[in-house]
Amino acid sequence: MEIRFVERKELIPKKFVLINALPDVGLVGVIAATHLISSLKMKEIAYLDSEVFPPIIVLHEGEPKSPIRILANDSLAILISETAVPAEAIYPLANAIVNWASSKNVEYMISLGGLAVQNRQDIDSPKVFAVLTDKKLMNIVGDSAELMEEGYIVGAYALMIKKCMEIKLPAITLLAQSFFSYPDPEAAAATIKVLNKILNLNVDVSELLQRGEEIRLRAKDIMRRTQAELIKMNKAQEYDLPPLYM
Amino acid sequence: MERKKREFFEDLMNFMSSSWNEEASIMQPLYNMVLKPNEVVVTVDLPYVDLNKIEVKAVEDKLEVLAKTKEAICLSKFGLKHRSGEFNCYHIVVQIPVPVDWRRLTYRLKRGILEVHLPRL
Repeated sequence: MEIRFVERKELIPKKFVLINALPDVGLVGVIAATHLISSLKMKEIAYLDSEVFPPIIVLHEGEPKSPIRILANDSLAILISETAVPAEAIYPLANAIVNWASSKNVEYMISLGGLAVQNRQDIDSPKVFAVLTDKKLMNIVGDSAELMEEGYIVGAYALMIKKCMEIKLPAITLLAQSFFSYPDPEAAAATIKVLNKILNLNVDVSELLQRGEEIRLRAKDIMRRTQAELIKMNKAQEYDLPPLYM
Repeated sequence: MERKKREFFEDLMNFMSSSWNEEASIMQPLYNMVLKPNEVVVTVDLPYVDLNKIEVKAVEDKLEVLAKTKEAICLSKFGLKHRSGEFNCYHIVVQIPVPVDWRRLTYRLKRGILEVHLPRL
């Protein structure tokens, strides 16, 4: 099944970093991306369309929009999904995103997500972990996030990591400790703080944190639908102990 | 077997339906349940909850949570003009699948999330 990128070619930056924000545990990426897009005043440069997506449009300020779209400024693009991605769509979607990024010669990709932890309620400052397709990318990440050395990643980001390694597209996946089942603005803020260091952004997260209750309420239904799709993908395997390294 | 089939379809219908009951001004919150060897832990996400107006009780083999919000929350707050209504209360009933000691039920609220502990029998 084809996934089309419908572009406004004149708005696509010549050289950019692509951030991916697909619905995942805690909706960390989606919440962070929404705040980044608003803070950096980004404009829509493309949207995605496919028969594997649910038949949905979303209305913003009276304008119909595809729920999966890409917004950008001069040097940064963000791919965000405002709807849960069906489990059966993640293979074609992950491949399409990586292929599109490669065709645009992106500098590198950063995917934002959550790392579900059972004791999240007792964590005041969620830590952010990095999964890298190449350890040399630690030069970019520095000490802003801890390298995730062992474990499992399940879902669209796992597929994107595999594809990026195959075509040698540098990719960083940032995962903040988060709730599995609840929107987590604090975890989203933690990933933005890491992006501020990596990309020299200076995005203020105080408003995001102040609006925490509103965000948790507004994101409730997309979280519920995302959780249903994550269960189909056996997302809980991320809790498993990693096997012996072979 | 029939009971399980009925519960499966009830869960499916609950999942597919809206979480808002505009007529009763009630919203079903997100919740999660973890079965541990010694206890069952149920958590419920309650943004905007009034800390002093949370009720947690046992109803047969189900846990019921009723929690009022600090103020009524209108759908217009979210830019919805084609629907009207508000909610001022969360309500959830959770089936507990194993025997528990309801007398030793404890709960706490942290980060706006209610955490209920039910020791297993």
